[in-house]
Amino acid sequence: MTLLAMRDVHTFIGQFHILEGVTLDVPEGEIVALLGRNGAGKTTTLKTAMGLTPARSGTITFDGVDISQRRSFDIASMGLGYVPENRAIFADLSVEENLRIAERQKGDFAKKEEFIFDLFPDLKRLIRLPGTNLSGGQQQMLAVARALVPDNRLLLIDEPSEGLAPVIIEHMMEAIRQLSDRSTVLLVEQNFIVASRLAQHYVIVEEGRTVQAGAMADLVDDEEAIKKYLGAA
Amino acid sequence: MTAANATVSAGFRSWLQRRRGVLLLAAALVLFPFVISILIDGQGVGAVLANDQGNARFLQGLAIEIFILALYAISYDLVLGITGLLSFGHAMFFAVGAYSFGILLKSFDIAWPVALLIVLVAALIQAVLFALVLPRVKGITFALVTLGLASVFWIVIQSSDLSDWAGAEIGLQGVQPPVWFLDTTNERFAFYLVTIAILIGVFMVYTRIVDSPAGKVLVAIRDNEDRALMLGYNTFWFKLLALTVASITAVLAGALHALHQPIVTPNVAGLGFTVTALLIILIGGVGTISGALVGAAVFRLLQFYLDKWFGGASDLLIGLAYVAIVLYLPFGIVGTWRAKAVQRRKGLDFVGSLVSGRKR
Repeated sequence: MTLLAMRDVHTFIGQFHILEGVTLDVPEGEIVALLGRNGAGKTTTLKTAMGLTPARSGTITFDGVDISQRRSFDIASMGLGYVPENRAIFADLSVEENLRIAERQKGDFAKKEEFIFDLFPDLKRLIRLPGTNLSGGQQQMLAVARALVPDNRLLLIDEPSEGLAPVIIEHMMEAIRQLSDRSTVLLVEQNFIVASRLAQHYVIVEEGRTVQAGAMADLVDDEEAIKKYLGAA
Repeated sequence: MTAANATVSAGFRSWLQRRRGVLLLAAALVLFPFVISILIDGQGVGAVLANDQGNARFLQGLAIEIFILALYAISYDLVLGITGLLSFGHAMFFAVGAYSFGILLKSFDIAWPVALLIVLVAALIQAVLFALVLPRVKGITFALVTLGLASVFWIVIQSSDLSDWAGAEIGLQGVQPPVWFLDTTNERFAFYLVTIAILIGVFMVYTRIVDSPAGKVLVAIRDNEDRALMLGYNTFWFKLLALTVASITAVLAGALHALHQPIVTPNVAGLGFTVTALLIILIGGVGTISGALVGAAVFRLLQFYLDKWFGGASDLLIGLAYVAIVLYLPFGIVGTWRAKAVQRRKGLDFVGSLVSGRKR
């Protein structure tokens, strides 16, 4: 079943036409990698799904409901979690407050606490520390952990490996694999190796348009497409 | 003692413990005029209760001014320091309280609780007015629009059409105290206690709000509003909450100002008075809440004593004092104290680990 579907979505930021026809399907229970070069529109695609940069035309449905004209907080309340790039935590709140603020219902955090600290044992040790005192990798873990607190059916995760040390990337990949047992994931990832090992499906956007989509297993062998759209070997 | 009684008294004891600092401060403030009366004036306890002339009476008056400034600044700290809304129209929140309460008492024959109720309704209306601007403009634009709103009020209260009520450029004079404990002239000590009670009450409410889950959302909005939105918070209502609480606090401060001062000048609606609030929380520490209390005291005492000792040169010295505070206490007095507290604790931990021989 398709959980999130975007059909010919166009988004403007100011006068700039950023998305010029993005179409994608995210099947429930799977990980879909959203690929493309820098500036192709991957982040804007996530922000548009989340209502932060609303679509001007096209349809976006979540679990069959049209969300293209809804506001961000409504969309979030339907069960979409967003992990923005650049470790988007609240710098002035402690680790615990960062997690508790994500509660949609009282007790969400208590229910998930064990699962979250199993994934990211570091966070448990740092629970009282203000977000600003965490390292980059720890902040990224906190940002992902925060999206796990409420019962999100779909997680939009933007560049979780960006700027992290290789050993932390391994840890993050393992965490994403484990959390995908609980919710569907749409993952933006520059690092093709990371993306290909995590995702079952892929969507490539180029200059704001969907140009290719399918099963990840097929893309891995399609050297021509990788070279053309991703510039990676 | 029954079990229920035991829990109540245990709860009360833990409340006392958590509020120890602020309750001690309240007690010290209540005792302060007696100490002055005995040590400096050479008078007794009775002089304070009889509101006799002297240093004790005078310093109570100065303290009341500080409390009023603290109430006003604490409300600005909630808006700017906690929620991150840069309002340049905050003086209007105070001036609406001062003018509406003063005019209602002076020109209309109504009971003071009713007047207070009307002032609180005015507080709600102006908070909604400011909030209505919010979804459309952010940051510096919000600052300018709020400055515009306050300027309109500043012009309106000076208009000659309203001079019978508001006193035009001269200001509002002749507000009579409606009840004995609001009479700063004849019942200075009672009024002093009333302002202490209001300030301490407001301070407790504010610390409670900031520590509550809603308070965390306000801080989250200051850090990054988009992130709060995408967690599912309709941030508009939280900003309206902050503005409403701040507006109510500021009109209370304004109403007390109208009772305490012989004249309410239009200056209290001007940009300069918003800057006063900004200065106070910069001195005390932006976003610290208790910084507003410390800042108000430092601000008013500096202003008063530098003017008393140096006269005309005092403005220059006050300016230098602000520069020194910003340079050497970049997070304000309370903010820097708290930042250093982390270092102090780390240092103590380190020494402790050396002594106990444990590896950290």
